[in-house]
Amino acid sequence: MPVFKTPFNGYAVKFSPFYENRLAVATAQNFGILGNGRLHVLDLNPSGPITEFASFDTADGVYDLAWSESHDSLLVAAVADGSIKLYDLALPPSSNPIRSLHEHTREAHSADYNPVRRDSFLSSSWDDTVKLWTIDRPTSVRTFKEHAYCVYSAVWNPRHADVFASASGDCTVRIWDVREPGSTMILPAHELEILSCDWNKYDDCIIATASVDKSIKVWDVRSFRVPVAVLNGHGYAVRKVKFSPHRGNLMASCSYDMTICLWDYMVEDALIGRYDHHTEFAVGVDMSVLVEGLLASTGWDELVYVCNWPYGIGVICSKHEGHAFKWNKTLD
Amino acid sequence: MATQSTTPPNPAGEKPENPALEVVQPAMEDQHDAKAEASKENPTSVFVNSEPIREEQVQNAVKFLSHPKVRGSPVIYRRSFLERKGLTKEEIDEAFRRVPDPSLTVSSSQSAGTNQDGQLKSSPNIQPQAPTQLLQTAAAAPAGVISKVGTLKQSRFQWSHAFLAVGLLGVSGAGTAIIFKNAIVPRLKSWICKVVSEEEDLGKKTNSKPTLAEEAAAAAKAAAAAAADVARTSQEMLISKNEEKRCFQELMNLLDKQVWEMKSMRNAIQKLEGQSDHGRITALEQENHGVLVTGSRQSNSNGKAEFDMRSARSSSPPASVEPSIAPHPKSYMEIMAMIQRGERPPNIREINDLPPNPNQPVSNPQVAPRAKPWEVARTQNTTVQVLHSQESSDGLNSKLQDNGLINRLNGDSTVPWWQRKNVRITEIETEDELKNGFSGVQANERPVQRAWVPPQPPPFAMAEAAAAIRQPKKPSFQKEQLADDQLVAHPSDVTDELQRITKISESGGVVEANGGSSAVSTSEIEEVGFEQN
Repeated sequence: MPVFKTPFNGYAVKFSPFYENRLAVATAQNFGILGNGRLHVLDLNPSGPITEFASFDTADGVYDLAWSESHDSLLVAAVADGSIKLYDLALPPSSNPIRSLHEHTREAHSADYNPVRRDSFLSSSWDDTVKLWTIDRPTSVRTFKEHAYCVYSAVWNPRHADVFASASGDCTVRIWDVREPGSTMILPAHELEILSCDWNKYDDCIIATASVDKSIKVWDVRSFRVPVAVLNGHGYAVRKVKFSPHRGNLMASCSYDMTICLWDYMVEDALIGRYDHHTEFAVGVDMSVLVEGLLASTGWDELVYVCNWPYGIGVICSKHEGHAFKWNKTLD
Repeated sequence: MATQSTTPPNPAGEKPENPALEVVQPAMEDQHDAKAEASKENPTSVFVNSEPIREEQVQNAVKFLSHPKVRGSPVIYRRSFLERKGLTKEEIDEAFRRVPDPSLTVSSSQSAGTNQDGQLKSSPNIQPQAPTQLLQTAAAAPAGVISKVGTLKQSRFQWSHAFLAVGLLGVSGAGTAIIFKNAIVPRLKSWICKVVSEEEDLGKKTNSKPTLAEEAAAAAKAAAAAAADVARTSQEMLISKNEEKRCFQELMNLLDKQVWEMKSMRNAIQKLEGQSDHGRITALEQENHGVLVTGSRQSNSNGKAEFDMRSARSSSPPASVEPSIAPHPKSYMEIMAMIQRGERPPNIREINDLPPNPNQPVSNPQVAPRAKPWEVARTQNTTVQVLHSQESSDGLNSKLQDNGLINRLNGDSTVPWWQRKNVRITEIETEDELKNGFSGVQANERPVQRAWVPPQPPPFAMAEAAAAIRQPKKPSFQKEQLADDQLVAHPSDVTDELQRITKISESGGVVEANGGSSAVSTSEIEEVGFEQN
């Protein structure tokens, strides 16, 4: 299985929406507690190992990143010092970053780009706010301040251009509409902090939330008092959840129990796959929009794995007579 | 392990036929069907909470907000607490509006104390009726505090009484001593004088005796008075002690009751956790009912407990706040220890990561944005929900669309792939908004013909997958379906694709994923005349 070793602890991984073989990894030194950060842009080679296309150093750890949906060379990084940095891969490294937007008063924890309008992106921070930005403006367009604790994730709705959801440590998920002054819905989804949320790409009213209580809950916003499904199976807090861009009921999740799990929430026995190749907290996971089944994950063990589910043989790792669910940890 | 609930099927219309309509008709909860009728007329966003205000929740919130301890907390924490209880924004705002002015409640703090004592007695009767939520288990604490305050107030009076009594005692004792002194000394003196002067003057006896007697009487009276005082104060002390004992007994009883209630709540919660989803729905409703009935105390105590947690916010990453804390790597603990000692890890560099030119213009995009796979599905007017309604037979289009969707998800492919493709293309041509629909089509099609899904997957992969997956039918079914697609797809315009695919699979892997895919897409797109890099 293709592996990439990062010098720092991995925090997030995202596939490019323009190039099938490109992905970016956000890393932070010293587990993100205190130290520098680095943003890697990697290229997958079917016949060989993963190579690094570019990397950018930051003074503080990079907690998350987002690829631009409008510009193929643009990257947004959420940095632990509260700044949002924009990188342009078409420019030489010495010209990067092209923007550093510093408005958050605490760590910026997540970044997400609008997939419908493609003109704006969100950043969420430990200062309890979510901010809306556009590429052309040096200051934020709007600040959404309602949560009572850190906002760990803000995700755009895949079909409604103005709707997004935010997951916070105050144990609620809020649904917002940028046209409205405040949040339009509040889901008290868990009894403990909610670390991640994601929309179902094929049913825009379904949202999944991942929490410190080790469970993933799937909600329908039209009847949000009771979850559609509760997915148990992780041994520790679930750090990130991601719906598949290709199959409506499929989602991937990564957890502090060092595994990546794949779920189908419409099925009675929802856990349909599990990868345990990480040797530390698995903190980032992503499924490619362009390539069905392509899955990448990263963790505090400073490794980035790219695999193909569920077929086992893929564009990337076809050389390895690889098993569908067991992966070698060594670099080939 | 997923549990499914019986989510009500959308009573209002499903996704509208016209894909241009971005908003969806709202679907209400079961008990608000009537409202659904009304809301159908003006379609609003489905991401808005359209429940009416629940009066019971508002009243609970008002009780919570009126609690003196809650009044001292920041507003944001009060709101956050109520939100976590499931109240909507409107309900919370209404509760805040209804809570009376702070200036009025301060004066009636004593009456509030007695009121709460009364509530204390009435609530235990109501509590056993319904199981309550987990966060209501700490109900005892402020209740105990309230009653304690009351008894303390009463006992303070008792204590002050006791002090008074002690003071009186002391004073009376001192007075008695002085009086005795005044009485004994002159008596002694006079007696000595009498003895001395008895022989001298017998006539003086008559004079000294009455004075002696008078003085003795006076002393006796004073002593009696002092004794009476002492008796009175000691009696008062006894009474106060008895009262204290009684109050203490009451307090103990209440605490016992609350402990019992907590235990029963815990049992109820355990039961709830063990129940299936159906049971959970009714149990949750019961919980709501419990919230309604048991009043503010639980929410008060809730708030107190939550405030304590909230005030302990630290700057560490969320990983440290876990019920069962995941074992952190050793080096993580070392770094945390280092930082808590104030040391800086040695490997940190000084990096200047500011933009060299903050006004650097953004490079022009080289590649046009591609439509997402789910957007392609949307153009076909199909959704997962519609999947279930396979009976729709509005002409060939919808049938093919349904089949197309079923194909993609889990159905048998009865319609040849090339027919489906034509349908999609016509659909897209009529769509104005999808400029990049072609690429989206190809993006959607590509997964079906991707190189890593060879027409005949090697046997070992199948065996592995079958062994590892708990439900062997599904994925192999999927493989079969895709394999079917591959076999069915033999139109002339994609023969070259297939050839390329088979070549690639034979060579054991795609040599150039990017190049291959773009070439594939180019060949597909040629006929529709769309250029793509």
